[in-house]
Amino acid sequence: MEVPSRWYNIIPDLPLPLPPPVDPPDRDSSSIELLNQILPVEVIRQQFSADRWIDIPDEIKELYKNFGRPTPLLRARRLEEKINTKSKIFFKYEGALPTGSHKLNAAIPQAYYAKKDGIESVITETGAGQWGAAVSLAARTVGIKSTVFMVRSSYDQKQQRRYLMEMYGARVIPSPSTTTAFGRSVHGSGSGSLGIAMSEAIEYALKTGAKYLVGSVLEVVLMYQSIIGLEVIGQLNEIGEEPDVLIGCVGGGSNFAGFTYPFIGSNAKGRFIAVGPAEVPKFSSGKYRYDFPDTAEILPLIKMITLGADFEPPPIYSGGLRYHGVAPTLSMLIQQEKVSSREYGEKISAEAAKMFAETQGIVPALESSHAVAAAIDEAKAADMRGTSSVIVFNMSGHGLLELDNYMKIYGDR
Amino acid sequence: MMAELVIYNTVGFPDPETFFKFVQGACSYVDALELGIPPKFAKYDGPTIRRSYVAVAGTDYMNLLSNVKCRAIALTYLDGLDLEKFLEMVRCTKAVMFPDLLIDHMNRLEEVTEAVKKMSLKNVIFISPSVPDTIIKSASRFADEFVYLGIRPATGVPTPVNVTKLVKRVRVIVDGKLIVGFGLKDNEEIAQAIEGGADGVAVGTSVMKVLEERGESEAIEAVRRLKEYVDSL
Ligand SMILES: Cc1ncc(COP(=O)(O)O)c(C=O)c1O
Repeated sequence: MEVPSRWYNIIPDLPLPLPPPVDPPDRDSSSIELLNQILPVEVIRQQFSADRWIDIPDEIKELYKNFGRPTPLLRARRLEEKINTKSKIFFKYEGALPTGSHKLNAAIPQAYYAKKDGIESVITETGAGQWGAAVSLAARTVGIKSTVFMVRSSYDQKQQRRYLMEMYGARVIPSPSTTTAFGRSVHGSGSGSLGIAMSEAIEYALKTGAKYLVGSVLEVVLMYQSIIGLEVIGQLNEIGEEPDVLIGCVGGGSNFAGFTYPFIGSNAKGRFIAVGPAEVPKFSSGKYRYDFPDTAEILPLIKMITLGADFEPPPIYSGGLRYHGVAPTLSMLIQQEKVSSREYGEKISAEAAKMFAETQGIVPALESSHAVAAAIDEAKAADMRGTSSVIVFNMSGHGLLELDNYMKIYGDR
Repeated sequence: MMAELVIYNTVGFPDPETFFKFVQGACSYVDALELGIPPKFAKYDGPTIRRSYVAVAGTDYMNLLSNVKCRAIALTYLDGLDLEKFLEMVRCTKAVMFPDLLIDHMNRLEEVTEAVKKMSLKNVIFISPSVPDTIIKSASRFADEFVYLGIRPATGVPTPVNVTKLVKRVRVIVDGKLIVGFGLKDNEEIAQAIEGGADGVAVGTSVMKVLEERGESEAIEAVRRLKEYVDSL
């Protein structure tokens, strides 16, 4: 299995036209114009491209290879035995990438295209640190600087993640900070939020001329992640398996889309299940409408399933699943019932994660543990029906830098 | 075959008198005028056109439209629109276009195009790069005037796009006339649209800016030069 040489863009294969991003109606300025200023040129071009296939530049392919792509597709035999199922359970292991999650797939091309623009530094924000770590490493490898605004509560608690970014050479600033006007305006108001960190990052990018890198939700980010599903198609082919069910967790939707879109776009048989957290019930309570992708209301409105940009997520440990919306293409596919969705609470997911660690040895990221829970349920449901399914889920990341969270959930034994 | 030129302006912009003089002068250079009627929500418009909607609010659109002597295409958005009243108001034009028809009101495609025809008007079908191949194919059959490909997500906001590529993709799907616009920013992009296989181009924001800042004679001159350029391709 080789690293694929093209990304897949689902836009021309959707069941309906994708509603475009729009400017907020009551403003004189254009938020779409803002994207022009902060994103690398090629990233915007690809965001609005209608090409089904986009060539991956050789340099990016080399970096993908260097960091361990293709990632393994593994069979979870011990888990199958443990739950005594007749189904086969496979998982794609994105935790095998050096920063521990799929995020690196999207950070590398964006850093690469920023450098192509002649830019010397990139900026982003991060919650628990998965995205920030990916950006730090990507920037380092293409030879540019990176600055990461990290939500202050995580900055204080997640010392190892913060240090990982610094080890890669990033400058990590706790947010709210005194570095930006927005940060100063809310400074002292406590532990910060992803929305505040994002506003600071965008303001700082505008001020310094650095490019801003996006971690999820934008179609182009989903496209960069398609490398996951394209590899899985090849890997399943090699072992002669055809999936009946594909499962992934959803924060903004990038790992789920990257994993499933190459299947959905080619009209592959099988069901697709998007799993969210019960504590952030966007699938069951969200509305499909135009909304801000960011709490700070800086970016253009996008049409998506959303709980509202002002939704305040409860403090669950799956930081990556706290997002209030779902990427526009994925929202549409759910609306059109091409993708089904369900929600699991953190307790159930953590139980599944524990079972996975006990059987397969891998500690899933808390985000990914939601997909594990769904895979186990699907296997059990197939047994109840008296059938056997081929179940494939995406393990978007490992949880080794989140053991403190597991410790809080289970207690320090 | 010579490429066509379509010019966009908002009805009554920047004021009824200037608008009228501009239209009279520009008509002889264009194949059609696309005239925007302010919608409830200017979904896909950039700052210039959004401002123009505010500027013309309260104007007698019907009266202005009935004085336009060249081929006119009325344009507005369907969200919150009283379709019957709208068609009544624009019945002196030749055709109508709703940029959000396929995108947010796909289920009304037949109903809306039928209502348009009943008023003896023709349909321009608007598509954007995010419209999937299958729908471009099925929906373009409803275009008895032409298919309009909007190249950018918002008018007048020059996001980097590959114009030739985007047009080529649609060209192989659409059999009838294809006009490309929505944010073409300069002559180079006009040439790229034609190279991609467009039968014509539509220009809005750049001419409106001239009209707003330097008056109708310079705007008419800008249209004349555009015509000359398009003819030279
Ligand atoms: C390991 C992991 N999985 C999943 C997600 C959710 O994001 P997305 O839905 O964009 O894949 C995150 C986000 O931070 C993450 O770190």
